[in-house]
Order: sequence, then structure tokens, then C-alpha cells
Amino acid sequence: MARNKFDVDEELESPFNPQHFKRMLTYIAPYRNRIIITVILMLVASGANLIGPFLIKQAIDTEIPDGDVSGLTLLAGIYLAALIVTGICMKFRIRIMSEIGQSIIKAIRKDLFENLQKLSFSFYDSRPHGKILVRVVNYVNSLSDLLSNGIINLITDLFSIAVIVGFMLAIDVKLTLYAMAGFPVLAGIIFIIKNAQRRAWQKLSNKQSNLNAYIHESINGIKITQAFVREEENKQIFEEVSDSYRGSWMKAVRIQFLLWPSIENISVLTVSLVYIVGISSIANGGVTVGSLVAFIGYIWMFWAPLANIGNFYNAIINAMAYLERIFETIDEKPEVVSDPNAAELKPIKGKVTFDDVTFAYEEGSPILKNVSIDVKPGETVALVGATGSGKTTIVSLLSRFYNVTDGQIKIDGVDISTVTIPSLRKQMGIMLQDPFIFSGTIMDNIRYGRLDATDEEVIEAAKTVQAHDFISSLKDGYETEVNERGTRLSSGQRQLISFARALLADPKILVLDEATSSIDTETELAMQKGMEHLLEGRTSFIIAHRLSTIQNADKILFIDNGKIIEEGTHTELLARKGPYYKLYRSQSHSLAAG
Amino acid sequence: MGSIRWIWGYIRNYKRRFFLGLFMALVVAGLNMVNPWLSGRIIDEVIYGKQENLLLPFLGVMIGITLIRTVVRYSYQLVFETVSQNSIFKIRENLYDRLQHLDFSFYDKTKTGDIMARMTGDMEAVRHFTAWTIYMIFENATILLLAVGFMFYIHPPLALCMLAVAPAIGFFAYRLANTVRPTFSAIREQFSRLNSVVQENISGNRVVKAFAREDYEMEKFSVQNEAFKQRSLDSARVWERFLPVLDSLAGTLTVVMIFAGGIMVINGSLTFGELVTFNSLIWALNNPMRMAGWLINDVQRFIASAEKIEDLLRVEPCIKNLPNSKKIDELKGVVEFNSVGFSYGDEKVLKNISFRAKPGETVGIIGPTGAGKSTLINLLSRFYDTDTGEVRVDGINVKQWEIQKLRSNMATVMQDIFLFSDTIEGNIAYGVPDATVEEVIDAAKKAEAHEFILEMPEQYDTIVGERGVGLSGGQRQRIALARALLKDPSILILDDTTSSVDMETELKIQKTLKSILMEKTCFIIAHRISSVKEADLILVMEDGKIIEQGTHSELLAKKGYYHHVYQNQFGNFENQHSQEGVS
Repeated sequence: MARNKFDVDEELESPFNPQHFKRMLTYIAPYRNRIIITVILMLVASGANLIGPFLIKQAIDTEIPDGDVSGLTLLAGIYLAALIVTGICMKFRIRIMSEIGQSIIKAIRKDLFENLQKLSFSFYDSRPHGKILVRVVNYVNSLSDLLSNGIINLITDLFSIAVIVGFMLAIDVKLTLYAMAGFPVLAGIIFIIKNAQRRAWQKLSNKQSNLNAYIHESINGIKITQAFVREEENKQIFEEVSDSYRGSWMKAVRIQFLLWPSIENISVLTVSLVYIVGISSIANGGVTVGSLVAFIGYIWMFWAPLANIGNFYNAIINAMAYLERIFETIDEKPEVVSDPNAAELKPIKGKVTFDDVTFAYEEGSPILKNVSIDVKPGETVALVGATGSGKTTIVSLLSRFYNVTDGQIKIDGVDISTVTIPSLRKQMGIMLQDPFIFSGTIMDNIRYGRLDATDEEVIEAAKTVQAHDFISSLKDGYETEVNERGTRLSSGQRQLISFARALLADPKILVLDEATSSIDTETELAMQKGMEHLLEGRTSFIIAHRLSTIQNADKILFIDNGKIIEEGTHTELLARKGPYYKLYRSQSHSLAAG
Repeated sequence: MGSIRWIWGYIRNYKRRFFLGLFMALVVAGLNMVNPWLSGRIIDEVIYGKQENLLLPFLGVMIGITLIRTVVRYSYQLVFETVSQNSIFKIRENLYDRLQHLDFSFYDKTKTGDIMARMTGDMEAVRHFTAWTIYMIFENATILLLAVGFMFYIHPPLALCMLAVAPAIGFFAYRLANTVRPTFSAIREQFSRLNSVVQENISGNRVVKAFAREDYEMEKFSVQNEAFKQRSLDSARVWERFLPVLDSLAGTLTVVMIFAGGIMVINGSLTFGELVTFNSLIWALNNPMRMAGWLINDVQRFIASAEKIEDLLRVEPCIKNLPNSKKIDELKGVVEFNSVGFSYGDEKVLKNISFRAKPGETVGIIGPTGAGKSTLINLLSRFYDTDTGEVRVDGINVKQWEIQKLRSNMATVMQDIFLFSDTIEGNIAYGVPDATVEEVIDAAKKAEAHEFILEMPEQYDTIVGERGVGLSGGQRQRIALARALLKDPSILILDDTTSSVDMETELKIQKTLKSILMEKTCFIIAHRISSVKEADLILVMEDGKIIEQGTHSELLAKKGYYHHVYQNQFGNFENQHSQEGVS
């Protein structure tokens, strides 16, 4: 599993793919009708706009020379009416398109977020979180204008071009062909620019992602930074990251800005060509003066929508860099998925069986080797062993955070890979080694374990884990606002909250991964007393280093290097005088030595 | 205006380039008028006047002017981009610098997602303004002024008639600006909230999965996602009201021109040619006025974001160096707490704490969760300031030390281990970036981390994740310990550092520490008696107070809280021992 850090660009795994564009259209498709309405509105508006020049011509040619004031008033009136129509069309266009644009954004963001919920730990473990964040929020935002106004402009511009070319053809076919001579040149230039631009924007989006990842990590690690007086060093790194973002931005715009001048220069060359050809054919009598004048007028008009399309194209290319990232994330396959035929796991009793389980995060270096465990409902199992021996991995497999490489895990005789994941996890209460606190009140944080729990139940759970006293001593009690970094809560307090959360879930299987490592012995003992009756009827897995925490367990598993090397009750294991005995001696010795 | 002045403070550094850009924009605005004029000449002189020899020169000028114009335009776009990128770079740097120096109390109450929103979305709005909006405003204003001036030159009465529309446009533009601004602020705030929800979901993904709360998270997210959509639509609704009005009003200029101009021609007060000239200039009035609405939007969007960024830049850390702070490079490590009191808000966390420790001594701190142990050592590194009493290091109040000097002489292993997404080597060398590989390995060995690091796929080059995921709790603690040891500090602070380390390893670590700590002052916060019993001074804390202090044997003799804890941890063993004896 290759991990990514802030200054490493993420390789995009799929090549450029027109499918992305098609796929984007599928987000737009539901709004097809409304888009058609808007296009019609736009056509009406441009129709109303076209009346303008005609009215002026009419006034200058007829009404004014004739001194016809009432006729002039009429023309002015018509013009005003046309303006009002244009205004109304514009109003509806803004209304409809912003609605559509925002709805599409919302839908893409939702798909992205939804898939993120399905992705396994390894996805999150293998890249800085800032890089994920920027995809969901910033990348999606940068699509919004493109998807709303961009599309409409494209359609109206294409329509204008068609009309203009139609007029040109009607005037003179040969001149039209000359006028189109610039087209292949433009296409060639666009092709060259496109490739360079796509690469430049991909690079840019990488640099942006790196920058954000670094900022994100700097914020989260601020305490360490300040404790180690790393501020200046970090500033330098930040400047480098920020500078390489600036550099790739400038490179990208240098390419992007080339498009417009190319179009203008090609257009002026085409116009010149048409002048030369046109004027010589006037001499031959092929073209009339009037039609040449009109024709030139149309060529100028022709390039404006073309330039707009060019800009749209620019925007699409830029957006592609983002779209690729977004779709890549939406398509990311979670490693752990419910089997398509998976059944709901029925309410369980809590019998747990590990049948010859082997597991490796990375092929070839197994973390667990042939682990077999049998736990009866209601039993308490303690896992002991050195750090990194695989204790956390065992309980992670039980919740199916990872799939076993080999062997089977069964709950009540049912292989957990054959049941739906939510139905499995909802029956387990897990307290992770790293207690995470969400921003919100303490009440909300505990209730996270069971959303429909009443306040009383939350308080009951807090009391059981001995968290009630400290919570009530806070000024706002259970309504105290806390956040991710755990404002004002000590690690032990966070563990207590996270413990209460697990307990509130009222699970049949309770997993406590170093639930009390930062909790003082007094509290722990009080907690144990309160929990005794709570643990009744629940199967529980306890990982701890303080042997005092675990010696009452029904079964102690001594894990070493991914294997269970000893198994039994505290007394049995002591009698065996094996590794557990040694561990126990060293602990008691270290205490007794004082 | 405040925001404009603020951004000018950054742009000013590139004054020359900025004005060069504006000048080039002016040139382009002027050159814009050449081609339409040349087209007229070609028609008049070449086609009607039959002077065909003039065609090629005319076309040559036309092509030449276009080339120059596009090259100049390209250049000034890049000039503005450069100015904008440089300014943004500077702003970002200032923000980052500010973030690096803000104290814990700021971070305690600010969400990561909010800060991220400042650094990303808000920054983008500022970028757009400096790179695009500024010159667009300038370009349009120039064209407008040129055209108005020209019109007044030709025929003041008609020009005045046309300007009659201006107050109405001004009025609506002003209304738009005022109405749209709060909607942009609302969008920015909602953006922050959305950012925070997503951010927490990502950081807390393990808990979400453990409790199978994906649906709940989806709901939480959907609320914010929907709200973000709604806030954006609120804003669009304002545009919807004003932009069409502004657009139509710009269009009425033409109506005024034909109607008033026509009547003037009929009256004979205006010539026909003058009216035609007016007609050819009308785009120069129309376009800028049409653009006005959009530009106002951009400006308001910029102001909404700039204000947020300014707010963040203005936050002052409470913990700052005093003007004449002590800049002693190396401190000895004498630590004194004199009746120290401290509270978070109204909540008293520490009450009347006094003790003293000399170099070479180890102070153990033990006590229930939330007793104030971590707070006590946070005051020592001056992450917070005391409310009453004083903390002295080498006889000098920590408030008088230069913070950086003070902290460079301390190394803390925090309770909450944070590793950076970097290699293990990079993480250990975090405090001493120029440490050699040997030094890193040596530190890792002392922290009993060397062996498991060697077992990792890429050993010291293995990249670990942000919260150190991929490593077990005990492994993370040992890397953090190595990080602190590498710094070779005068004062070493271990906050619950070995809680997830197995006892055997802990014993080894303690042995190593003993030899390292000869000259150092060391603070050890722990729950296991075994971790603190060797300390020269043990502080037993409860409820913000030191309730007992002394050495292990003194405290045992007191038969107080410490003795009780000892009994609980050790008593069990004693019982077992006797059982063992029996069996």
C-alpha cells in the first residue's frame, strides 16, 4: 500500500477520457427540459437583440429623413419592448440556470461523499486527509459555473454560428469557403494548446492538492510544531509548496491565454483574405459591393461566438483535471464491501470464532498467522502482548474493517463475510485506540453510539464509565461544546466519552482497545465495578497493557508476532510459567521494586 | 473600502508592474477602436473610391495592429496574473505565519474546516479579484470615459440626454452591491460549515465505520450540502432581480439615442453624420454598463472573502514575547511553580500549585483524569499563561523568556500523539531537521523503536499517515518519544507517553531514560505507579490541586491517595503472589 504525503503528486490512474465528459452530461440530463426552455429563452432574447440594429437602420434610412416623429416614437417603443423581453428572458435564465447548476453540484458532491462513506480504512490511511477534503469541497465548487452558464452559452453560441454560416452561404459560397480557411489552422492550434493545457492543469491541481494537504496537516499538528519550535522550518516548506503552486499556475495561464490571441489573429487574417478575394471578384462582377460589406460584417460576428466556445473549451479542459479527480474518487472501490447476496446478520448471541485466520496488509508480510479463537457468548477475552503484535488487527477483523486474507471469522456460526456490513457493525460497540471527538456537545458525542438514546440513557452510560462527575463539573455540563482537537478535554476524558459512546450502543459484542490507557487506576476500578453487570450477557474483547485491567477475564490470549502463543485464564497462565508469567513477574517486580 | 485598502497593501509591492499593466490595458482600449475605423476606410476608399492600391497597406496595418493588440493584451493578462499570484503568495504566507504562531486557546475553539475554508475558497475569491476584476473594471471604466468624453465633444445636449439614464443605473448598481454582499457572506459561512462537516467526517472515518453511522453522516452532510445550495441560490435570486434591470437600462441608451437624436436631427440641431458617429460609439457605453452588474458581484464576493481573511490575520495570540524577552540559548532546567492558578474560562483547572525541580531531577505527576496534569506542563512550555502566581525556569518567569528559546530547550511528548504524513525518519527528525541518519537511529534505539521500524517495509523511509494510522498506539508513542529524545533538551516532558507501550518495553525505556536524564529535568505524567515511582518528586494531583507530594516511599508512608492507588495496582499482585504461594 503506497502511502502519499503532502509533497508527492498523486498519480492519476486513468488516462484522459472523453467518457468523463459524457458522464458529466449524465448529471445534467435530468434537467434536459429546463435547459431546452432556457435555450429557447436565449434565442428569443437574441432575436430581440437582433431587432436593434434593424430598428436603427430603419430610423436612419426612413423616419429621421422624413421627419416622422410619431414613426420614430413607435420605433423607440418597439425597441423598449424588445429590451423588456430581453430582460425577462435574462431573469429566467439566471433563475433556471443557477438552480440547475447548484443542483448538479449538490448531486456530484453527494455522490462523492456517499462513496467516501463506503471506502475502507486503507483509502484514508494512504493519503493526507487534506487531499480528500479538497476534492469534495473545492474541486466540486470550481465546476459550478461551467455546468450552469457554460453549457447554455455553448448551445446559444453554436446556434449563432450556425445562423451566421447560413447567412454567409446564402450570400456567397466561394467567399464562405475562403472565410473558413482559417478553421483548420485554428483547429490545429487548439489541438496543440489542449494537450499542453491539460497537462498544465493536471499539474496545477496536484500542486493545489499538495498545498492544501500541507495546510491541513499544519493545522492539525500545530501543537507539535509549537512544542518543537518548528515554525520557521515549516514556513520554509510552506513557501516552497506555495511557490510551486504559483509556478504551475503561471505556467497554466501562460498556455491558456494563448487561445484568444490565436483566434483574433486568425480572424483578422481571414478577413483580409476575404477582402482580397472579394474585391477582385467585384472587378469580375462576381460579388456585389453590398454583399461584400454584409459578408465582412458576418465574419466579424462569426468569431465572437467562436471565441466564446474557445473559452468554454478552456474551462472544460481545466475542469477535466478536477473532474478526473472527482470521478476517480467516486469510482474508488471500497476494499471491504457487503457481498451482493449478503443477508442481514440476525440479532446475535455473541459467539465468536476465528478459524485459522491469516491477515496481511501487504502481501508477503502477514500480521496475523493462523489465528484460531473460540469465544462463548458472554465471555470476556483479553488480548495481551507487545505493541505491534497484532492485537488491534484481531479486533479490526472482527468488525470487518479489513477482509481476512485466509481463514474465516464467524459470529454465532455465521461467516461475517456473508452478512451486510452495517448489520454486523451495528451489533458491536467498539472503542478505538484513538478516541475521536466530533465538534458538537458532549451529549451529541456520546449519543453517536445510539442516535435514538434519550438524555437519561446518555447520562446513564456516562455514569457507568465514571464520566458523569467530570462532565457535570463543566459549566455547561453535557451541553459543553467540544471539537475535534478535544478542547479542554484531557486524553483520559476523551477516552471516557468514547467509552460511553461504545457502551450506549448496547452491543452484544463490546471491543475495548486500550479503553483505559489514559485513565487513572481509581477511575478504572470504579468503572470496572459499574461495568460488571453491564458486561453480563455481552461478549467482550479487551486490549490492555495494565494486567490489573484484565486479570478477571474468562480467557487471556497472549499474542506475539501475529500468533497466539498462550491461552487460558489468569491463574492457568501463571501456573504455566510461560511468557504471560514472565510478563506478570516483570510488572509486579517493577512495582515491588519500589 | 477597507478591503480594497487591504489588498492594495499587497499589490503595492508590485506597483510598477501593476501600473504598467494598467497602461497596457489603456493602449489596448485605444487600439480596439482602430480596426472598426479601418474597415470603414476600406469600404469608403478601396471599394467605393476604387483606390485598390490602398487595400494591401490597409490590410497590413489591420493585421499589424491586431498582432500588436493581442500581444499587448496577452502580456498584460500575464502581468496581472503575476501581480495577483505574488500578492496571493504573500497573503498566504502571512496567513500561514499567523497560524503557526496562534496559541492553543485559538485552536481550542476554531474548527480545522473553517481555517481550511479561509485558505482555499476565500483565497480563490481574492485571486479572481486581483487577477481579473481589477483590470476589467479599469478597462471598462476607461472605455466608458473615453466614449462619454468624445460624445460631449461632438454634441453636449445629446450626450446629456443619454446620460440621463446614468442615475438610474447608478441607483440599481448601488442597490445590487448592498443587497448581494450579505448573501456572499452567508455563502462564505456556509462554505466553512460544509468544509467542517466533510473534514471531520474524513478525520473521524474510523469512528463512523465502527458505529456504522454512514447514513447518519450522509444526513448530516446533506443538510449542509443543501444549505450551501440554498445560500448560493439566495445570492442568485439577488442577481436575478438586478442584473436584467441593469442590462435593460444599458439598452435604453440606444433608445434614447434614436429618439432624442432623431428629433434633434429633425429639428436641425444635430447633423446626420453626428448621429451616425454616436451610433458607432454606443457599444462603448453599453458594454461597460452591462458589465457593471457582474463586476459589482465580483467586488462584493471579494469583499466578503477578504473580510474573513482579514479577520483571521487580525487574531492576536495571547501568548507573545515581551519586548525585552530573555534570549538565553541554553537553559539549565531549574523549574519553579509559585502558587500558580489557571482557569479555562470560568472553570478553575489549577489552584495554588507550588513545587520546585532541579536539573537531574525527575518529577512524576499522578492523579485522576482531568486533575490538571497536562495543563500544568502546558504552562511550563507556556502554551497558556498563568492567571495567578508564576512559573519560573532558571529563576526567570516564563513570560519573560523568548518563547522560541524556552521551547527549544524543552521536548514534550504529548498525550495525543500526532505524526505527520512523512517518513518515520522525517517524523523523528521533526524537531531537528538537520539531524544525521545515525542520530535519528540512535534516538529510535533509545526509545525502543528501532526494532519495529526495521521490520517495516521501507524501514525508516516508511511513510506514516497523518494520525499515524498504520502504526499501533504503542509504536506511535515510541516514535514520538524518539522525536523528543533526538532534540536532547534540558527539560523533557513525557505526558502519558508509555500508556500504550507494553510493560516490558516500558522497563527498557525507563532504564535508558535514567542514563540520559542525568543532567536534565524530567516530568513524567503517568497512571501506572511503575512509571513514576523512581521519580525524585512525585506530585499527586486531584481537582487542580497538589494533594500530596514526596518520593515514592514518603508517599506510601502517608497512606493517602498514592498509597491507595499503589494498593490497587500492586495489591492485586500481592494477592496473586500469596495465592501462588499457596498453590
